Parts: sequence; structure tokens; C-alpha cells
Amino acid sequence: MARASGPARARRVPAPDRRSVIQASVIVIGVLLAIFALPPLMNGYYTDTMTQVAIYSIVTLGLGLLVGRVGLYSLGQVAVLTIGAWAGARLLFATSQPYLLVLLEAGLATMVIGTLITLPALRLRGLYLALITLMLAGAVTVVLATINFPNGGGGFSGYNGSFLHIPQIRRPSLAGTDPAYYRYCVIIAIVMFLIVFAHLRSRPGRAWAAIRQSEPAALAAGINTTFYKLWALALASFVTGVAGALLAGADRELFSIDFPIQNSIELLAVVLMGGVFSLWGAVIAAFLLEFLPALLQDWGVPNDWLIIIFGVGVLQVLVTAPRGLADQFPKDMRRLGRLIWRLARRPAAVAVAAPGEPGAATGPAASTTEAARHD
Amino acid sequence: MPSWSDFQPFIVSGLALGGVYALSGVGLVVLYRATGVLYLAFGAVGAMGAFIAWQVQQQPGGWPGWLSWIVCIAFGGLVALGYGVVFGPALAGRGPLIQAVATLGLTLVLFGAIDLLWPTSAGQSRSLTFPTDGSGFTVSQVQVNWTQVIALGLGVVITVGTGAFLRFSKLGTAMRAMANDREITGTLGVPVRRVEAAAWFGCGLLSGLAGLLLADLSALDDTTLVFTVVISSLAAALIGRLRSIAVTFVAALVIGLVHDLITPITQIVNYQDMTPFVLAAIALLVASRGHITSRSREEG
Amino acid sequence: MSSSACGTSPGVKATGTPIILGGIDTKQPGTDFSDIENMTAAYFNCVNANGGIKGHPIKYYALTEQTNPSQIAAEARQLVTSDHVMGIVGSSSIIECSVDAAYWKSLHFSMLGAGIDPECWSTPNSASVNMGPRYSSDGAVQYVLSQGATKIAFDQSNVPGTTYIAGGPNAIAAAKHVQIQDFTENVPITSADGIAIKLVDAAGPSGAVVLNFTPPEALIILQAAQKLNLEDRVKYWACSTPCNTDFLAKSLGPKWNDKLFVNAELTPLDQDTGKTAQLYKAILAQYGGNVSGGVGSFSQMGFVNGEIAVSALESITGAYTVASVNAAFKAVTGFNTGMLCQAFTYGSYSEHIPNNEDYTVTPDNGIFVQAQGCTDISNSDPQIAAYRAIAGTAPSVPTS
Repeated sequence: MARASGPARARRVPAPDRRSVIQASVIVIGVLLAIFALPPLMNGYYTDTMTQVAIYSIVTLGLGLLVGRVGLYSLGQVAVLTIGAWAGARLLFATSQPYLLVLLEAGLATMVIGTLITLPALRLRGLYLALITLMLAGAVTVVLATINFPNGGGGFSGYNGSFLHIPQIRRPSLAGTDPAYYRYCVIIAIVMFLIVFAHLRSRPGRAWAAIRQSEPAALAAGINTTFYKLWALALASFVTGVAGALLAGADRELFSIDFPIQNSIELLAVVLMGGVFSLWGAVIAAFLLEFLPALLQDWGVPNDWLIIIFGVGVLQVLVTAPRGLADQFPKDMRRLGRLIWRLARRPAAVAVAAPGEPGAATGPAASTTEAARHD
Repeated sequence: MPSWSDFQPFIVSGLALGGVYALSGVGLVVLYRATGVLYLAFGAVGAMGAFIAWQVQQQPGGWPGWLSWIVCIAFGGLVALGYGVVFGPALAGRGPLIQAVATLGLTLVLFGAIDLLWPTSAGQSRSLTFPTDGSGFTVSQVQVNWTQVIALGLGVVITVGTGAFLRFSKLGTAMRAMANDREITGTLGVPVRRVEAAAWFGCGLLSGLAGLLLADLSALDDTTLVFTVVISSLAAALIGRLRSIAVTFVAALVIGLVHDLITPITQIVNYQDMTPFVLAAIALLVASRGHITSRSREEG
Repeated sequence: MSSSACGTSPGVKATGTPIILGGIDTKQPGTDFSDIENMTAAYFNCVNANGGIKGHPIKYYALTEQTNPSQIAAEARQLVTSDHVMGIVGSSSIIECSVDAAYWKSLHFSMLGAGIDPECWSTPNSASVNMGPRYSSDGAVQYVLSQGATKIAFDQSNVPGTTYIAGGPNAIAAAKHVQIQDFTENVPITSADGIAIKLVDAAGPSGAVVLNFTPPEALIILQAAQKLNLEDRVKYWACSTPCNTDFLAKSLGPKWNDKLFVNAELTPLDQDTGKTAQLYKAILAQYGGNVSGGVGSFSQMGFVNGEIAVSALESITGAYTVASVNAAFKAVTGFNTGMLCQAFTYGSYSEHIPNNEDYTVTPDNGIFVQAQGCTDISNSDPQIAAYRAIAGTAPSVPTS
């Protein structure tokens, strides 16, 4: 049978709808701004802060994936981050491999370790699973406190206990300065987001959606839930491991006291507040976690207020806005936009009515205001 | 390998540590059985109550110690009651996972508040003491003070008492039913709001009392009381599958014992703080072996 | 005494172009050194209200950090590139000296602070008014050895640099052929009972337990020892400088009188009636509103930082720039702070340990009293020996 001719075939491909075109352009513009427009505007303080935002957006991406797509409330993602940071630092000190290779290796190592540690626990679900992740994270934290992060020393742990004149973790040869490293982190973050996005749009994403909807139903439909949960865990561990290696290069010196177990709780709080059902939520969460504290520090406000706000935020999200800020904010903005539009149109309608009878409005203006009122 | 006499004093200190975990762990499980919510803010509420008690004791004019204790316990009860009355209905039916995560919200709020109100600048070190701290009896050349005995005794009383209360009394049974399914219990004619309030208030009083004792036995320090003790005692609660108060109690004592008994073993002493986590992980994984088909509320 | 003695023109407000300085202190739950720079700020405010530096006020940026390396690096850059500071005074951080060492070196800054990080005593660009954990622990170990302890159990918190810190006490004990056992604890401490038993067992009946912790953690261990009735099972208990706060003395009962010995890096304040102490208390009372710890070694360090900085700035003739301010700090020689055992000299050395002579204090029913006067830290510590080889031994000065 003859194949359909060119134009007929083209007609069968659905044209991208306006909304997704706008969304895609907004994202592209935002990314370009972040990479090119921001660095010259930011002083050293905010460059470092935005680098942390970029790095932690990968971490929140991973946790958001687990919570939002698979329903796995992991209370130990910071421990996974430290594994990645440890692996990255060790490789950066011990080898002179190109940076991208180190990132990949750190990500893979974290993926393997993170998955292996959590694997036996996958049989559990719900609250138990969340609590066991907390227990595993606690164990990792103690191990880290004992072996410490590599700081240029020798041996397996690469830790030099004297802490004198320790070398700084190296950065990519093309991205040594702070603004350059910031751009590097943004680009890697985008790559991570694209990887997750690709997953969401293909088979694993559909399987995760089915599992989140109802795990028994998914099982009944023949989906291998354990396999896909493992995949989600592996993916989240991989991206978090890459983020950890980036963190090693950003901070240049790592200390175990910087990663106490309660950081995992704060991480979960901001991920919930940002919204677990959209990738934007991960970005918002990273801003809450890294940008807000820097801002408050700049204004001299104690960090404790932010902890309190996070606590309130968790409660608010769980009770009223389960889809988080990522969903709530655009809705609120749209409502605000409509309100402004209505306020702006009303004087025009009144001005049109004035020449004729009082209150009378002529055709087009009247129908527009009527439409706005029905919105 | 250290000798028996090297281990001996650590049995005493291990049991004391286990007593701390037992008090916290039993409190968590009791709350869970009575309200259906894993009240992770247990430590935070008790901690804030303890700090308030400390503050009361600092007031010029020599306020009596017992008054500060009552303030602390009452504070625990009121905060828990407030939280339960507001967020209990609001989150009812969302499942134990969401309800537990919500209590993490309360935890963060209280933690931030404690650090704001009682800063630790310049090495300000606060401590809460009881008259029973100074006296006790000697075992294996170390002194066991009465506060530790009281804490352990309280753990036993709570274990036995609430176990019996929940099983045999009308109010206790109503609480258990509500914890299991709030809506159905309501349709059965149980005054849901009142039972819920009673459960939260009672458990809140317990968290205040535990907070006092933990502040004395452990430290009047926010990170310790809000996070470290709770997370470690959570291990005991997990070993009890969040169900058996008695198993939680015993598990907590075992965790404390193992933790301290490792001290003389120099090869692994640096890892002793892993004890609660490793034991919980092992217990949960072993227990979940033959458990694939049966599902509990926590896994729903 | 009036606080106006801090400045050269009492009552005259400084109104010229400001001299800009900055500092970075650790401030997080459980570890809060912000009182140090707050007191330095108070000193500067006093000076600004009483004539300034030849009429110029000091503008002081007191930043705090939560031991986050990127945050610390960012704050250093903010101070330099946004706030245009000319010098760094009053820093007290667990890791700042290490994180920013290369940065300050590249800018040729000579920092004055109250260090904690081992790097603070090991670079050409930093001098501290205090001795820090290693040398302060040296002082504590030295004292108990001088009193006849036959074995040492040395315990510290598991923060960066434990090997470096333990190196000092180990060297001093080895020089006296006394056995020493090192321990570290994860903080915050939850199982103080086990720790107390462990330390007492290790030290033995004629030995000493030496602690290097922040005051809340040290208090927990000491209280545990007391509750277990173990405090008399060793001959001595000793502690590095952080324990030297009245909060600790008040919380410990009378059982610790002449039992616990704390190394004091600055003149014990409780019996000090000298002019400097009076000025310190006056400034604290009038300008130290946000020094929440009140009278104590932390605010004392901040005061001494302010003193030295102001004296250095007063010596500048000509414009106040990064170069002139840091040159002035570096040129401080033989300055009598009135609160240190020795005269303070910065000097052009590859490392700086200007405070290496100390007191020992002991609790006496709620306050700390002197147990031993100014004593040199022993040359058995190789770092001290190396420093004295290049800088000599500074002259002792009486408290004034």
C-alpha cells in the first residue's frame, strides 16, 4: 500500500498547542537569563548563593520525583547528597579526570550505593518506608562523621585530620571562577532536569503515575511496581549524586558537621512547599532552601525565623494546598492578573458610556466587560 | 577483647540511656495508638516545655521547682491539644504518612522558636536538675540516681498502664477505634471530637513530663531534645512496629545497652552512635520478610 | 568608670568619612560566637561616640555564618567587594580561616580575630588574641601534669581539626613521659554517662580527664560524672578555655571547687579591678545591648580585639585604605591590652601565636577564681617552639 503523501502525513502530527509553546519559551528565556544576564548583576555573595540554588534544585528535583511521582517520602536525601559529595571530592583529589567524568562517576556510585542501601526496604511502604529512610540516613551520617570528607589526605578516606593548609577541591579548568562555576552548575542542572523530564514523558513516567494513583491497581494491570520504584530511586540517587559532586566543587571544602540529619527534614519541607507535582516546584524549593536564608542573612534577620516559616509552610501545604507553591503561585498570579485586567477595563467602559446615556455602554466595550465578569 | 569488669559499669549507663530512649519511644507509640498520628513533635513540645520550666526557675523570687514542672507539663498538654484539635480533623483520612509529616511542620516551628527565645551565644549552658539527681544507690561502682529510676519506672508504668487503658477501658477502646478509622467510629455514636481532644491532651501531658525528665537525663539542648533523642527512640518504636508498647520499651533498653556496651571495644567505638539505626533497620527487614501479603495501616 | 575612656575626645561624636571594618562569626544552634564581634562592635560604637579615630567613625559589618563553606566564602567576598572593608577584626569561626585563607592572602589582609580553626594560627595573614583549642588544651594538660597527674584522658568534640588539636596535648604529655589517651565525641552528646565512665576508666585514680568542648557539652559530661559519683575517681578534671564562663561555674556545684581546672586565655574577670576591666564592664553596660552572654571570656575577646584594632588605627597617618589599615594591624608591637598575660605583637611572621601564656582558674561556689597565674605554654608543643624560634617570647605585663 502506498504511503501517505508528505503533506497528508504532516497533517496527522498534532500541532503543539499555544500553551506549551508559551511555557517552553518562558523556560528557554529563563534559562538564558540565568546563564547570561544574571552573573554580571550579582556580587560575589549572590553568585555563590545562586550556585547553591542551582545545585540544590537538582536535589529537590530528585526528592520531588520520589515524593510526587512514586509517593516515597524519603527522609534521607541529604545523606544521599553527602555520598555523592564524598565520591566527587575523593575522585577530584585522587585523580585528574575531566570534571564531567567525575560527575558521572559520582552520580553512578551514588546511584549504586543509594539503591543498594534502600533495596531491602522497598518491600515496605508508606510511613514505614519513610521512617526507614530516616534510619538509614542516620546511619550514613554517623559513618560520615567518623570517616569525614576527603580533604587532600591519603588512604581510602582521603582525610587529613590536622586540617592545616588543606588544598581546595579543584574546579573544571574552564569554570574556575565563581561566576563561571555558577554557569556550569546551571547547565548541569538543566541536563538533570531534561533527563528527568525525558523519563516522565516515557514509559517509566506512566508507570510511576499509575503507581502513585494506586499501587494495587498498577500491580493488577501488570506493572512491575518494585522495578519501577527501584528505577525512581536509582534516578533520584543518580541526580542527587551528581549534585553532591557539584557541591564539592562549589564549597571547595566539605565538613560532616554541615550535613546534620535535620537538614533532610528541612529539605522535605521546602520540596512540599514548592510543589511535588511539577518540575518548577523543584526550582522554587531550591530558592526557599538556599536563596531565602542568604537574603535574610544579608538583612540581619536570624535564620530561626525561616525554620519557623518552613514549619508553617509544611502545615499549610498539607492542609490546604497539596500541590504546593508551583501550582498555587501561577493560579494566584492568574487571579491577580484578571483582577488587574478588570480594574483596567472598568474606566474604559465608563469613559465609553459617558457621551451617551448614563450607564449605557456601547457594543464591544460592554461585551468585553461582561465577559470579564463571567471569568 | 575487654574483660567482663570493663563492661560492667556500661551496663548501668546503658540501661540509663535505654531509659531515656524508652521514655521517648513509649511516648511516641502511645500517642500513635491513641490518636493515629505519629507525633514526631513529641520531643520538640517536651523540649519547649522544659525550657519554659527552666525560665520559670530563673525568675527572681525563688519560684518553687514543682510549679515550673506543672507549667511544663501543662504546656505539653495544651500544645498537643491545640494541634490535635486544629490539625486532627483537617488531616483526617489523609493517612498516617501525611499526618506524621505534618507533625514535622510543628517540629520545625517549635525548634525555630526555642532557638530564638533561648540562644546559646557565649556558651550559655542551661541545665535542668531535680532534687532526686543527687542521691541514689551504687551498682558496679557507679551511682544510679533516683531520677533515672523514676524515668525507668515511669516508662514501665506508661507501658503497662496505657496498654491496659487502651485495651480495657471504654475511653481507651474508643481512642483505638478512632485511631484506626475516624469516620466509621463517628458513625458508631462515639463522641469523636471529645475522644480526640482527650487523647491529644493526655498524650500532650505525657510529652511534657517526658520532656522534663529527658532534659534532666540528657541535656537541656534544643538539637538533642528535638531531633537526636526522638530519631533514636524512633528506632525503638519501629522495632515495636509502632504497635506494641512493651516491645518498644524493651527495644529501647536494648538499644541503650548495646550502644554503651560497645564503648570499651575500641575497634568499633567510633560507630556506636549507629546502634539505634542499625538495630531498627535489621529488625524491620527481618520482620517484613514474611509480611508481603498482609498490609497494615502504615503501609497503605 | 565612664565608658568614654575608650576614646580620645570624650563626648565628641565622630563624623568624618568612616573607616570600614568587618568580621565573620559562627552562629548556629549550640555553637554561637557572635558575642565576640558584638562586643567588638560595642567597643567601636563607644569610640565613635567619643572622638572616633581622629574624628573618623568606624563602620563595622558583623556577619554571622552557619559553618557552610560556600556561605563563608560568599560573605568574605561581600565584605570586600560590596562593603569595601579595609580590614577584618573580630572573626571567630570554626572554619573561616581555612575557607578564606587563600582569599585573604591574595588581598594581603592581616586579620585580627579570636580564632578557633587551626589555620588561624598557621598563616601569615591571621593573628588571634586567644590561644584556640590546641594551645588552650596544652595549658590545661600542662597544669594537671604540674600537679602530678600520672595519666591523661583527653576528650574533644568531633569538629574539623581533631588531630591537630590533640597533637599539642600529646606532645606535652610525651615530653613528661606521661601516658595520654585521645577520644572524640559526636556532638550533640546524648550518652554522657557512658562518656564519663569511659574517661574516668582511662585516666585512672591518679590521672586527669581533660576536656575540649563548648560549654554546654562540657557541662553535660561533668554533670554526668557528678551524678554517677565519679568525680573523685580521678585526681583532676581540666578543661580548655571555653569552660571559663560563669554559666558553667553556676551550674556546677561546690563539688568541683579545686577539682576542675580551666585554662583561662585572658585575665579572670571576677577578681579583676583594674582600669581595663572597669572600662570593659562600662562599655558592655552602655553599648553591649546585643552581647547576650554578658561578662565572660567571649566578650572579653571581643573587647581586646577592639582595643588592639583601635590602637592600630590611631597610629595611621594619612589615608585609611586596605593597605594602610592592614599595615597598621601588622605593625602592632608590644601592645599592653591590660587583659592578656603578655604584650601583644602581630609581627611579620609565617604564623602567629601571640597569646601563649595563660592563667588557670577553678570554680569557687559559682564563680571562677584564679588557681595559677600567668604560665607559659610549654615548648614541648612543637608549634609553640617553632613560633618562639621566630618571634621570641613576648614580655609579660601585669593586668591593668
